[in-house]
Amino acid sequence: MNINIGDALTPFIIESVSPESMKDWAVFLADPNPIHLDPEVVKAKGLGDRVINQGPTNVAYIINMLHNSFPGGTIEELDSRFLDNVYGGDRIETFGNVTDVKQVDNNTRISCEIGLRVDGRGDVISGTATVVVSN
Amino acid sequence: MDFPPAPDIAGTSLSGTKPYTISAEENRQLCASINATPATDGTAHPIYYYIATQVGMGQTVGGLCAVCDFDVEVGPMMAGSQVVFSRPLKTGQPYNVTGSIKSITRKKSRKLGVMDLMVYDLSLSLPDGTLVLTTTNSWVLPRRELA
Repeated sequence: MNINIGDALTPFIIESVSPESMKDWAVFLADPNPIHLDPEVVKAKGLGDRVINQGPTNVAYIINMLHNSFPGGTIEELDSRFLDNVYGGDRIETFGNVTDVKQVDNNTRISCEIGLRVDGRGDVISGTATVVVSN
Repeated sequence: MDFPPAPDIAGTSLSGTKPYTISAEENRQLCASINATPATDGTAHPIYYYIATQVGMGQTVGGLCAVCDFDVEVGPMMAGSQVVFSRPLKTGQPYNVTGSIKSITRKKSRKLGVMDLMVYDLSLSLPDGTLVLTTTNSWVLPRRELA
């Protein structure tokens, strides 16, 4: 695998974030916060008019991008800063690029800038990641 | 500063009381929900770093908010999440969760008014004590009643 500084990661795209999957994640996370389940609660809190995706789900999209960009790689570090919400029905796209490549023993350690963007609203997560790929 | 200080809760233990195990079936469901293909070698999706530590810690989300003297109904917001993996997560493997609240800082934000920034550390370990990962999460707790 030939990896160079500046290489773009393979974007991971969800055309429409599913409110149904938020119900599943409420169970996975053992967190029944109604802002993820009931748009009326979101409206009442003045946070918008659609259900809000769970933050860890948004991080999972970025992990999918790392897996797709570096098949067989292992995530060593991931640092995500949450800038804004993702809502049900949003189209999301992850993005990232390689910032450093180091050879360590028989492995390649790849550092990246990563993020998540919502169509029409801009970046909602920014951060960094390190992935190790066995040579 | 014209508002009371944040509660003195740094150091509060969040260690779990029983191991957390990632179910292979739930891992499949989770992967399906985010258009990911589950691994065939028993490796769990890495986002379980967050799920396993949150579900396996010694507090529910509501309980952790209560420790912070914060009503969960107001709605905590994630500000950041960091993880360092020492090894991949596996389905069917029991993990112990340990950790504590690192800090809570009260400040005034232009967007939210008065808010607390609460930071906590959690670790996952194998039953023999081998470290699997450490994570640091930060939550924003809006304190509009103090604005």
